[in-house]
Amino acid sequence: MRKTMAMAVVLLVWCGSAWAKELQVGFVYVSPVGDAGYSYAHDQGRLALEAMGGVRTSFVESVAEGQDAERVITTMARKGYDVIFATSFGYMDPTLKVAKQFPNVKFLHCSGYKTAPNMANYFGRMYQARYLTGMVAGAMTKGNLLGYVAAFPIPEVIRGINAFALGAQAVNPKAEVRVVWTKTWYDPAREKEAAKSLLDAGCDVIAQHQDSPATQEAAQERGVYSIGYNSDMAKFAPKAHLTAAVWNWAPFYKEMIRQIQAGTWKADAYWWGMDRGVVDIAPFGPMVPEGVRAQVLAAKEAIVKGENNIFTGPIKDQKGVERVAAGVTMTDAELLAFNWFVQGVVGTLE
Amino acid sequence: MSWEWFLPIVAAAVQAGTPIFYATVGEILMERAGILNLGVEGAMLLGALAGFWTSMVTGNPWVGLAAAAAVGSLACLLHGVVTTVALANQVVSGLALTILATGLANFLGTPLIGLPAPGFDQRPLPGLSALPILGPVLFHQDVLVYASYLLPVLVSVGLRRTRFGLRLRAAGESPTACRAAGLSVLRLRLLACLFGGALIGIGGAYLSLAFTHLWTNGMTAGRGWIAVALVIFAFWRPGRAMVGAYLFGGVMAFQLRLQAAGTTVPSSLLLMLPYLLTVAVLAASSRFRGVAGAPAALGTNPEPSE
Amino acid sequence: MALVVRKRREPLPWWGSCLIFLAAVALALGGGGAMLALQGKPALAGLSVLIGSAVGSLWAVEDCVLKAIPLFLCAVGVGLSFRMAVWNIGAEGQFALGAVGATWVALSLDHLPAAVLLPFMGLAAAVAGGLWAGVAAFLRALLGANETIVTLMLNYVGILVLEFLVFGPWKDPASFGFPMTAEFVPAAILPALPGTRIHWGLVLCGVVGVAVTLAMRSSRLGFEITVCGQNPAAARYARMPYGALMAVVLVAGGALAGLAGFVEVSAALGRLQPSIMTGYGYTAIVVAWLSGLRPLGVAGVALVLAALRVGLESLQLDFQVPAAFGGMMEGTMLLVVLAGSFFSRYQILRRPA
Repeated sequence: MRKTMAMAVVLLVWCGSAWAKELQVGFVYVSPVGDAGYSYAHDQGRLALEAMGGVRTSFVESVAEGQDAERVITTMARKGYDVIFATSFGYMDPTLKVAKQFPNVKFLHCSGYKTAPNMANYFGRMYQARYLTGMVAGAMTKGNLLGYVAAFPIPEVIRGINAFALGAQAVNPKAEVRVVWTKTWYDPAREKEAAKSLLDAGCDVIAQHQDSPATQEAAQERGVYSIGYNSDMAKFAPKAHLTAAVWNWAPFYKEMIRQIQAGTWKADAYWWGMDRGVVDIAPFGPMVPEGVRAQVLAAKEAIVKGENNIFTGPIKDQKGVERVAAGVTMTDAELLAFNWFVQGVVGTLE
Repeated sequence: MSWEWFLPIVAAAVQAGTPIFYATVGEILMERAGILNLGVEGAMLLGALAGFWTSMVTGNPWVGLAAAAAVGSLACLLHGVVTTVALANQVVSGLALTILATGLANFLGTPLIGLPAPGFDQRPLPGLSALPILGPVLFHQDVLVYASYLLPVLVSVGLRRTRFGLRLRAAGESPTACRAAGLSVLRLRLLACLFGGALIGIGGAYLSLAFTHLWTNGMTAGRGWIAVALVIFAFWRPGRAMVGAYLFGGVMAFQLRLQAAGTTVPSSLLLMLPYLLTVAVLAASSRFRGVAGAPAALGTNPEPSE
Repeated sequence: MALVVRKRREPLPWWGSCLIFLAAVALALGGGGAMLALQGKPALAGLSVLIGSAVGSLWAVEDCVLKAIPLFLCAVGVGLSFRMAVWNIGAEGQFALGAVGATWVALSLDHLPAAVLLPFMGLAAAVAGGLWAGVAAFLRALLGANETIVTLMLNYVGILVLEFLVFGPWKDPASFGFPMTAEFVPAAILPALPGTRIHWGLVLCGVVGVAVTLAMRSSRLGFEITVCGQNPAAARYARMPYGALMAVVLVAGGALAGLAGFVEVSAALGRLQPSIMTGYGYTAIVVAWLSGLRPLGVAGVALVLAALRVGLESLQLDFQVPAAFGGMMEGTMLLVVLAGSFFSRYQILRRPA
């Protein structure tokens, strides 16, 4: 407690003094930071920045997307923040609006598609990790029925489900993925109910695009397997957790700040993948056999080397219509706007 | 296809209905004493938080459950004091309780998001769980569900056959007569808040200790309000509350299972079902409100005696 | 010496509730400071950041006013029904439907000039919000269904209706499959008042405030609503049309919440997306009750609560206070005012020995 007080005093002194040569970096989160989940992953990245020299960070959590976001971002810009990370899709328009008013502040918006001379957008190729977890799930299922508890039908989530299905089919052509939408990022009770509905439908490996580990719990109670998301969720279900698709923002955030300090930063669209370490899979659970591990790690190697781009044709959609021709790889623009399911996924898109 | 596919839904309905059931019975107790409590949602949320936190710290879910009951009682007592002592409007005080409790729970609970805590697991009851149909539906649950099966009997007998129960109901039917008989309406109503609040707190803790073993801000997600609606549906009787709560649990479980089975109906429309059902049930049962035994003095505060 | 409680012949006049409200604000701030101190943060510095960043500069005040506009509209509507002791807590859903109605017009009549399009959007929003509240009025009048629960359940349904539209039929194909409608044409965007960042919603608030005040003070309707709220038995005896009056307050309240939805979707977002729902409808209940249900009071309280929210963001930024801090302060204020209203209706006297 004394430490926080001392920090606050130091902070106050700094606010008033003129030698704020340090880079002031602000983060805007859509949900409470908590101890798992999406905002938590970003906050881990922020803490990594604190360890760098010449950087001071702060954040505002639970900021609604819309007018509130615009005000918070404006406040940060007015208070003299040099770099502002807006970490949720809905912050895109507000960030752009504020970026136009503050040309000297650098804005980085996560998961959108708009840029400006002083506003970059960034995201991670989570679908690469999803593909690998799909391989694990496809290899471990006995009934060839995989479940996926998913939050909202937006491209980011759809892309992940598709990559998961393709990964599963790569090792098990009979694998089918059932999707249940919860329409919430974080509601353990509803997520668990959704997971159970998938288990009752006969799924024996369930994955999630949710922020709580409720899905993992449901799998462990039923004695089947699960795949985590955001961070290593093994501690919540050691007997069920096969692996997880995880975020690791530290290398990206550090590189951005380094470039800004060096004056070489450009307002680009950054979409880093497994090769730069922004996404990865968590350590395998003990139940994953050696053969599967080797296969998945070989695929990871191929992804890192750029030999496997995952969304390379032929890819058919749910109705069996070929959407990507053989040998063709989907462009980033197409991936960003993903709004159809690949063959083998059962679920609606609304 | 055999009929057995139906059993998991019913079993899930019982589980999803249990937190609502506890809260509904708690609210029935309070309303029978004349206190309309629209703070159920808030009190449940505080119960869920207190139960989770205590279980996490002590490592014992039973201690957590006790804490949840105590905090539920305290929250409802606050409402009781504001309405019976400060004579504030019951509707507004209940709303205020929900707002305050939600704020408090979110404030205190934010650091606990994503942490694990010990809770209650599903344990089949030896013997009974082998019964056909009833076994998998009713007796493959956790201990809090089993305990809830006793509630209707306990509460009905308590309200009808004990002296305290009769007095409690008198405070809700006719505070003036009650006072004339030398009873303290204030004391009776506060006691109703104490007992009812404990059940409401346990209902909340069911979510964070049994249904999942996790805490999140706002995790009651409207269940407290459904409980208030179910009291009317139940005609202020615990037995009917059980039916109503399971009906709701059933709809919640059903709409997600429809999705898992691969329906093409948009998920937003399916998610509306529980809420639409609440409105329908309320509309259907409100007609009989008069004959159904709504406590005559429900929602009114007696003037202070000179 | 003993104390007795006696009912006042007349409740304390307006300054009484003002005093209670100020006491509530003071207590809430004190409580907030105590919470800060408990967390080992400098309480006084925190409170000065909270207040300073909410009212300390012109742009901060503009932010407060912008945030207070939808709160005011929702709260005046909610207050109308509260005056009649009809408990409409569905402003959130009515707000959602209002936004949907305005969006429908903005998307389908986008060739019209602003002078025609904007009023049409407002009208559609008011009708949509009013109809949504009308469901509760209908069920209450016909079957006696409790309006509190019906309006609350319709909040959840209304938000899901909005989500259904933006995830489905209204999804903008140009927005990469994200759940939002196309951006509105410039004619569908409520412009700012000259020289400020504040939009014309403020003028709308003024019109609504004056209209509601006049209607409640000097029309038969207003009189009857007040009587029904204060003394339903007397109202029944005087053969006032209770059911019709209830429908009027509910539908009017819904229409006002709908207007708030229109203002937000047009001026703040410029397109419909799920993030428009930020709980204005729920906060409006707090505002309505704290304000003593008079439009002028509503304006004051809406500004105070908006300032609290705005100031809190700076407090978070500077001291890393969790976001839920605000909800707690609001709840404290509400309970203090509630308990305090006892003193405006009753007095405590010394019993002569």
